Amino acid sequence: MTRRSFLGSAAWMSGAIAAGAQSWTIRPAWGAASGPIKVGIATDLTGAIGYAGNANANIAKLAMKEINAKGGILGRPIELYIEDTASAEATAVANVRKLIQRDKVDVVFGGITSSMRNAIKDVIVTRGRTLYIYPQLYEGKECTPYIFCTGPTPAQQCDEFIPWLMKNGGKRFALPSANYVWPHVLNQYARKVIEGNGGEVIFEEYYPLDQVEYSATVNKIMTNKVDVVFNTVIPPGVGPFFKQLYEAGFTKRGGRLSCVYYDENTLNINAPHEIEGLASCLDYFRAVTKDEPGSARIQAEYDKQFPGNIVFAAGSAATGMYRGLRLWEAAVKEARSVDRDAVAKALDHAKISEGPGGPAEMVPGKRHCKMRMYTAVAKQGTYDIVARSKGLVDPKEC
Amino acid sequence: MEAVVTAVFEVLNFGAIMVLVVLGLGVIAGMMGIFNFAHGEFVLLGAYTVYLFHTWTLPIWLGMLAAPAVVAAVAVVLERLVIRRFYAAPVIAMLGTYALGLAIRESVRGLIGGLYRAVPEPLPGSFDIGAIHIAKWRLAIVVITVLVMVGSYLLLTRTGFGLRVRAALENPSLARASGISTNRIYAATFAFGAALAGLAGALVVPVFSLSADLGIRFLIQGFLAVMLGGVGSFEGSVIGAGVIGIMSAALPWAVAPVLADVLVFVIAVVLVRIWPRGLTAGRTV
Repeated sequence: MTRRSFLGSAAWMSGAIAAGAQSWTIRPAWGAASGPIKVGIATDLTGAIGYAGNANANIAKLAMKEINAKGGILGRPIELYIEDTASAEATAVANVRKLIQRDKVDVVFGGITSSMRNAIKDVIVTRGRTLYIYPQLYEGKECTPYIFCTGPTPAQQCDEFIPWLMKNGGKRFALPSANYVWPHVLNQYARKVIEGNGGEVIFEEYYPLDQVEYSATVNKIMTNKVDVVFNTVIPPGVGPFFKQLYEAGFTKRGGRLSCVYYDENTLNINAPHEIEGLASCLDYFRAVTKDEPGSARIQAEYDKQFPGNIVFAAGSAATGMYRGLRLWEAAVKEARSVDRDAVAKALDHAKISEGPGGPAEMVPGKRHCKMRMYTAVAKQGTYDIVARSKGLVDPKEC
Repeated sequence: MEAVVTAVFEVLNFGAIMVLVVLGLGVIAGMMGIFNFAHGEFVLLGAYTVYLFHTWTLPIWLGMLAAPAVVAAVAVVLERLVIRRFYAAPVIAMLGTYALGLAIRESVRGLIGGLYRAVPEPLPGSFDIGAIHIAKWRLAIVVITVLVMVGSYLLLTRTGFGLRVRAALENPSLARASGISTNRIYAATFAFGAALAGLAGALVVPVFSLSADLGIRFLIQGFLAVMLGGVGSFEGSVIGAGVIGIMSAALPWAVAPVLADVLVFVIAVVLVRIWPRGLTAGRTV
């Protein structure tokens, strides 16, 4: 390499770095005198959970279009600033800082894993003095002021689901789990519900995140006559684990498989017959669109705008993202300002009548969201809704 | 009793998978002195080939036959373009192969949308003897591993090609002086190691499902296995991989799985401390 060409490429590189290779701005089609409202989206567009992050960015663009088509908020359009958190916390902190310091956004949505939320929340809320809305189903216990959570909590995923599992599976539970924070905290809650309903936890065991061989676990499940496997093992382990369970004859014997993060994306990890009868409990399934017109409209719009591999599913935080954006919109309208304290005060009791899975409302003082919950069972590669909550389920947090 | 049979079979099965995956890595590291960080991605490419055949609704077994050839072809191109420039600098070669691996992995991630994809096994079902269920495909993997192991061993020890490979390894300048094209031999060896990786990926993808990180999962354990067995020998990598695979599958039966994961590494490090040149040092081809 010559000196000249080196200098040339170095100049190009530094230019690319300065502009931010991982930043995108989605501008509205029209303007307002006071400028647009700036919405920051920090999500994992690349890396291991890129499929989820892209769904989040897609649904945010969709919600932005809807809001702007109806005249924006307070007469101002919204403008999206999308930053890649890259499934890596160190990269994420630097990129989120750009949203706060360079773009000066009025609110940040995003983060998928809890470790990501914990890495970026300080940058946004404490040092950045900005409102933060976290969209993913998670283990709960996030009670920091100015952080609002719009995905399901353990109470929402267990309170109605576990009694259903007992009726449609049995009373002997096994809790095989990946060794990180979500399964640990979720299992504490699940155990309480299981034992409170007269069930029994045969074993609760944690595995390294990349373990792919589960013969010892499967053997324990089979010899102890477990009725229900309440799984929190995650990919890559979950595929081989379910396969080994199937091969050992767990479902053939009448055992019930269950997993509360299973959505339309994760269905593809195994062949349909290996997970036939798997039960999940989430705020939204595609099957809900059959008798929920609001969900049907959003789903149809999403499919039209984003055909292809990246699907709209609850397990990847996309439903919470949409819900969060519309709740925040309602709050800004009520507050008549984008000032953080004013919006937070209004968001505290914000409601929407339409969203993925149905209406939703924030629980005053709790910064978590009441929503409908659905229990679905895998049947030949799709989900059948087998139970739905009577009304909105309480998150029971904070 | 049933539990013991099941345990033995499952442990053996995982040992076989480990051997299959590490074999190609061992061949390339041993014969060429290059630690191929793209090995996991060659495994991935093999798996992806089978997945492609599945999406084209062609028979799975056809994909499994094609996978080694496809991956070997890719490897030849990469060897000609990149790897052969680094034979004199093994550390740079490691970085180079790491970069290649990254490029392959992220390309496949883009192609499959970053998701997991199930690939059916060509031999579904299981042999059921009382309470013992032995999945046919897992048994097939064990059998094929043994065949591939024996075949590779014979190729390296009993054929003219094997002799030239070993000659090029032991003393490259003398080999060249004797009219052996070491250049071509290295390309062939690299392609052979890659073909083994491709085969491994093709055979295990029904068990683990396809994802971009399929190969990287085995990389660290694979290197540990090669070191444990002894770099520079074929049997070394087989034995090393067998030990690592069997330990990782067997220990969770005895101790808490999180502890077992660490124990595998501790035991391996202790073994390497006792036999610094590997379990088979100085006693092999």
